[in-house]
Amino acid sequence: MSYGNDEVRWDVVTAFVRLGLARGEKVLVLPCPEVPEEEVLARIDFPSRSTLRARRRGQLVVSCMREVIHPDAEFTAARQMGRLHAETDRATAEGYAGLRAFIDMGWVRALGAGVEAMMHRETGAEALFAGRPYTEICAYDRRRFDPAVLTAMERAHPRALLERLGSLRWEREPDGALRFIGEADGAQQDAFTRALQLALAHTAPARRLTVDLTGLHFLSVGCAVGLLVLARGAVGHDVVEVRCDGGQRRMLRRLGGDELPRLAWEEVVRPW
Amino acid sequence: MVNTDPADPAEGSGRRLLQRRFTARLLPQLRLLVEECAAREGLGEPRRGEFVLAVDEIAGNAVEHAGGSGRLVLRRIGDELECRISDTGPGFSEAVIPELLPGLDGAPKGRGLWLARLVADRFSVASGPAGTGMPGAEVTLAVRLR
Repeated sequence: MSYGNDEVRWDVVTAFVRLGLARGEKVLVLPCPEVPEEEVLARIDFPSRSTLRARRRGQLVVSCMREVIHPDAEFTAARQMGRLHAETDRATAEGYAGLRAFIDMGWVRALGAGVEAMMHRETGAEALFAGRPYTEICAYDRRRFDPAVLTAMERAHPRALLERLGSLRWEREPDGALRFIGEADGAQQDAFTRALQLALAHTAPARRLTVDLTGLHFLSVGCAVGLLVLARGAVGHDVVEVRCDGGQRRMLRRLGGDELPRLAWEEVVRPW
Repeated sequence: MVNTDPADPAEGSGRRLLQRRFTARLLPQLRLLVEECAAREGLGEPRRGEFVLAVDEIAGNAVEHAGGSGRLVLRRIGDELECRISDTGPGFSEAVIPELLPGLDGAPKGRGLWLARLVADRFSVASGPAGTGMPGAEVTLAVRLR
């Protein structure tokens, strides 16, 4: 994810940390080195219960990249990934469901690391995740990184996150699929519907549209019904394929999706 | 931001997990807090996602039809997670929720409450906050944790 505002940056870290704690995972937060720890804790604690107990028992750790690679002083991708790999093992050995790490990329400047070394790490970190209970968010301050670096990093990561809760974004995939990302709630229903209408218009010559819902964290009934109504009325299309997870599939089925012969389903198992 | 209400010991039994007033702007944050509490209490997927969806639909209904705001209380009562959402709007009865799923060619209303009732293990609609005599509606939905 990336942020360009000191206020909105906290939305994602707070959600990520609190849901991780609630799910029984160990949580490691490496904030921007220039932000005082007191502010980090105050932001994470607001607006719900304190995380003091989680910190005392070691479930929540606020640290810095310098500490992660200690006692070595110089950053290397292998060194950092080795430490995170070991931390994941330690978290599971301690009885946690896994490890999740929030890493503000402000450490690059703080450690005097080269952007190339950072990009090398970011594009070669699959071993940290493959078959292991490890989740990671890398947060980039758009005011500090070159736009070309940000674009490359967004492409290198498996998922791009939005910086605010309640946001919805959509994009056209190389195969023409319409992919939604974020939260398709009631406030976003008009935007969700408009994006679908445009995609249907653009794919009329091919008579086929794929709608990918797997990037959504939330799908409201209103948006789900909007999708079904538009698919039902898309008489110029032979197929509207819906790529979704099990929960979304069940909701769309309950709302009558199986009665629409034009709809085809591809159910995807989420990696987490 | 989300306001915290003063405690109201007369509101019912169980262990209170969350109490919040909300407006439309605060619904994303409310979903996160409810999801966090549900996960902490051990409600697994896919039931957790269904519970958050049901809460959002009822809270959204309060925002849309009852003056733009409402109040949520989430409790752990025995093996149940119970959510009460109240508002001070014109009120409604459970009779307005369709028994059968409305067709896709019909009016676009009522499906959210219909689905909320479908996924809940316990669901009821009362007139106004219980015992206060205030106008409005109070919707209660609960799911079993085990």
